[in-house]
Amino acid sequence: MSDVGRVMRRSAAFRIAFWTLVLIGGCWLARDFRWSVVWLAAPFLLRGLVVSWELAVISVLIGFVTGAVLAAGRLYGYFGIRHAAIAYIELIRSVPQIMIIFWIFFSVPALTGVVLNAWPAALIALSMIASAYLAEVVRAGLMSVPKVHRDSAYASGLGAVDTFLRIVLPQALRNMLPALIAHVVMIFKVTSLVYLIGLVDFFRATILVNNRDYAPNALYLTMAIVYFCCNFALSSLIKRFDPKYTLAA
Amino acid sequence: MDWSVVWQYRDALVEGLAYTLGISAFAIVASFLLGVALACLRLAGVDLIKDVIDGYVEIVRNIPLIVKLFFLYYIAGLDAFPAGLLAMTIHQSGYITDVITAGFRSIHPEQAESGYSQGLTRLQILIFALLPQAAQISLPPLTSQFIEVVKNSAVVMFVGVQELTFKTQEISQMTLRSFEAAVVATVLYVALTLAIAKGMNMLGRRLSWA
Repeated sequence: MSDVGRVMRRSAAFRIAFWTLVLIGGCWLARDFRWSVVWLAAPFLLRGLVVSWELAVISVLIGFVTGAVLAAGRLYGYFGIRHAAIAYIELIRSVPQIMIIFWIFFSVPALTGVVLNAWPAALIALSMIASAYLAEVVRAGLMSVPKVHRDSAYASGLGAVDTFLRIVLPQALRNMLPALIAHVVMIFKVTSLVYLIGLVDFFRATILVNNRDYAPNALYLTMAIVYFCCNFALSSLIKRFDPKYTLAA
Repeated sequence: MDWSVVWQYRDALVEGLAYTLGISAFAIVASFLLGVALACLRLAGVDLIKDVIDGYVEIVRNIPLIVKLFFLYYIAGLDAFPAGLLAMTIHQSGYITDVITAGFRSIHPEQAESGYSQGLTRLQILIFALLPQAAQISLPPLTSQFIEVVKNSAVVMFVGVQELTFKTQEISQMTLRSFEAAVVATVLYVALTLAIAKGMNMLGRRLSWA
């Protein structure tokens, strides 16, 4: 440990003092921003935030169910089903999320003539993204259960369904929880990309307010802080469930 | 379907692909170097530096890329292209820092201790003992991070950088042939992703020194 290291050795009081100073400094630098704009637009921004959360939560729920089906297809499916599941998962995972939103909102209507509104199109696109990523999470969770457990369940006379529901699934769910939350964070960040198709989520709401009463400093700072708080709250859950978990999508 | 559109606008698509490749290559190299540097500082550094890097990683990982991009473009006042490069580098460096840190963490502390007992300095231990092993362990997660860079490069279209997704949208607006344009862009992205996965796989076999 260097000399500087000894001086700055971790002590709770020193760290609290340092970060308090950083916080006060930040507030002082931001004192002249036009915060009144943010305050007046708060109801509109909040409505956008609700849209973002709705999109994230609903698409994660749909994506988890369809992802579980895809994972089961990839792990246990017959020849054709397994390859279809692999193709779908890998295709979605290797293409930019914006391209998928573009596909659902522009390309599929151009091909079939079925025109979708922005909200259902965004929800379908985000659900497809969530299903492919969560399929891999579910698959990793199912594979984390040792094969011995399944064999022992069979040996004690449980059927295939009972073995899956009572032995494999509970353990798999516990193991996949941290990765699942990490992907909720990812999906919440991806919701900001529905900017492309004009849906007024939190991101577009902020941009719209800025276009009307130009105050980029205050508005963009608010946007960053709100996104940070939402996602930080979610990712703190990961640490609660698994202190060793550090990697996320 | 009318695939002649694709041939007609081939120049635009090639230009878009070139932008995507260039941005991705820059962001991969820059975010890798930044990530390794931050992970080393976090490992070997002073506690206060460690705290600051932890804070940086948390902030970077919890804010969407598009928010950083708009920050750099509209508030910092950078041009579209540098803003895109910088935003992508910052964004991915947070993830890569964590990947490399996890690589360091999986190395036995005895490796560093035996380095000390041989009389190596801290820097020598870092460069000759820890980094090579961490590099090998973090190669698979790094591969998915690099693929993530290529996918994220589509976001810079929002400030007007004319990369592949931007060109696709432009073609679909000019010709109303969004299906054909999207198919071509999708195939190109999948090819890029596969190329990175394959390349990292080959690199991994080359690097099997430990």
